[in-house]
Amino acid sequence: MNNKKNIILEEYENEFSYKKSKTNLDIQFNRIAFIFFVFLVISVIYSIQLLHLGSLKEENTKEFSTINKNYRADILDRNGNYLVKTVKSIDIGINPIEVIDKKKLLINLQLIFPDKNYEEITKKLEKNKFFYLEKKISSDNYEKIMLLGDKSIKSEEKLTRIYPQKNLFSHIIGQIDDDNKGISGLEKSFNEKLKQTNEPLKLTVDTDIQFLIREELVKFQSIFRSKGSTAILMNVNNGEIISMVSYPDFDLNKREKIVDLNFINRATKGVYELGSVFKTFTVAAGLEEGLIDTDTEFLNLEKKLQCGKSSISEYDNKIPSDLTVEQILIRSGNIGSVRIGQKLEIIKLKAFLEKIGILSKINFDIEEVGEPIPFKWGKCKLATVSFGHGITTTPLQLAKAYAIISNGGFAIEPSLIKKELKDPEKERRIIKAGISEKINPILRKIVNTKEGTAGLVNIEGYEVGGKTGTAQKTIVGGYSKAKVNTFAGIFPTSKPKYVLIVLLDEPKTSSDYVYEYKNKKGSYKGTPFNTAGWTSVEVAGKIIEKIGPILATKHIEN
Amino acid sequence: MKQLVVAVIFVLILITSLIKTSTKEIEDQIFIVKENIRPLKSELEDVLLEFNYLSSPEKLVQYQTQYFEKDLIKIEIMNIKEIIKNNETLEIKDLISKSGNE
Repeated sequence: MNNKKNIILEEYENEFSYKKSKTNLDIQFNRIAFIFFVFLVISVIYSIQLLHLGSLKEENTKEFSTINKNYRADILDRNGNYLVKTVKSIDIGINPIEVIDKKKLLINLQLIFPDKNYEEITKKLEKNKFFYLEKKISSDNYEKIMLLGDKSIKSEEKLTRIYPQKNLFSHIIGQIDDDNKGISGLEKSFNEKLKQTNEPLKLTVDTDIQFLIREELVKFQSIFRSKGSTAILMNVNNGEIISMVSYPDFDLNKREKIVDLNFINRATKGVYELGSVFKTFTVAAGLEEGLIDTDTEFLNLEKKLQCGKSSISEYDNKIPSDLTVEQILIRSGNIGSVRIGQKLEIIKLKAFLEKIGILSKINFDIEEVGEPIPFKWGKCKLATVSFGHGITTTPLQLAKAYAIISNGGFAIEPSLIKKELKDPEKERRIIKAGISEKINPILRKIVNTKEGTAGLVNIEGYEVGGKTGTAQKTIVGGYSKAKVNTFAGIFPTSKPKYVLIVLLDEPKTSSDYVYEYKNKKGSYKGTPFNTAGWTSVEVAGKIIEKIGPILATKHIEN
Repeated sequence: MKQLVVAVIFVLILITSLIKTSTKEIEDQIFIVKENIRPLKSELEDVLLEFNYLSSPEKLVQYQTQYFEKDLIKIEIMNIKEIIKNNETLEIKDLISKSGNE
């Protein structure tokens, strides 16, 4: 076998050969660029750090709300007085397991808290179970106990909500539950805002005025033995609520569960048939539509009208048959009001009431707001609505409507939150110019003339004007004997600043109360009639007498 | 030109560092002042709360009945006077005109 292998050798050719780089890069320039880049990076890092330092303040604020989950912002009145304050309190507890020398600890504790029961504390120490030694400790004692340096002493920081005005603003402020969640009033409607911000919430209410108004309501609650009462004082030009009291009320510090319906916020949640206070709206609507003027005469007015099964009659049988529009309002004529309503017809009266915010649910700062009971308009309904029967609304909406009618016809929204409000002249006009100038003097005459029904509120110096409303309370299928007596007032009528609503829920006559006449000399003992003129008007008069000097001198409108 | 740009950048960074150092000192001072203000602010709030409680209308009425024999009197607006300063003279006027605006 010839296993011959042929080996072929090939010459290895090394292809490597040094060549000059063909790129056009300039090494010298690249170095400079690199240094420049490094410096740029450094300067960017510095800039980022500077920006970071600049934004630290904002981050701290954010951190604050996340750390203090139980924190809620304070609430102040218009003068900066605390209505609600969140205060820190420290509870001191002892963990017996960590106590090194029980005897020494007890001696030290006795020096700081000499009044405590140390037999009980000794027993607790022996149980080896954590216990609270002192809740809401004073700052002095806290310093002393922490200086002991005992590891077994534990401090727990807690936040407590304090209401220094107790009952005064119970319905406005509302309550919070154990989970720090608002369950009523502003605590509920501003729940998130109060939790997120550190800035206090400033309200439009005035503590002094609120106190004086509440004091009068409490006093007259015992005189007229009413089921409850409410009063609202509001600036007619910007809707700021200076006072809003609903009685009975409750102490917010007690944190009681309120289940009794009598404790509802009558000012905003109570929906009532308010009676003759609505006649002002009927007249204003007639003037707005140009269908009547204040001196328009209505002749041969009947004393009684039949509408379907029900009859409409005058409260005062001595009322003349021929009356001008002004006299209808002053003497609170039912039939005259029906005639004006009939001139207006359903569409126009309904549109006017809607415009001044009577018919629909009001959008307000607190959620406890009542909804006027809807009804079907018809001929008889038009007649009853014209003099304020068969139609319901809340006292807050009544205040708003009177404010609009008296302030020149400008739209306002009642508010509890203090803000920079514009002058109404710059805002939306919803009622023609000149209507207020015609209505306000009539409201004044209701107070300062003998024919008027609100003479008891004629307090010298305030130019009070207003309208009374006495209505029977509705029950299923009709009316009860219980009444709702209302006074809707404005003052001073020459240039209205305030609207005051006083409503007494189911008042009774008083045989002992002595009335001081305002439009004539003398006094009268006992309530002759259970009407607004003898009940809520008297309350309104006493309120204005007391709050008037404060309103006049404190320049509260600022 | 390139050297000049580099020099400018270097100077700028140097100045930034110097400013940063000096502002850090100020920041520290601000921080200390803020930390000192914080407890004072808290103390002020507590004192204000106490003042609001003790000077609340309810408390004032309570003190009045407790310490004074005379009752509080109602001020009539017609008796309130207004002091108007006219250059060097003081003029006292009724707050509400006796004749009224009606």
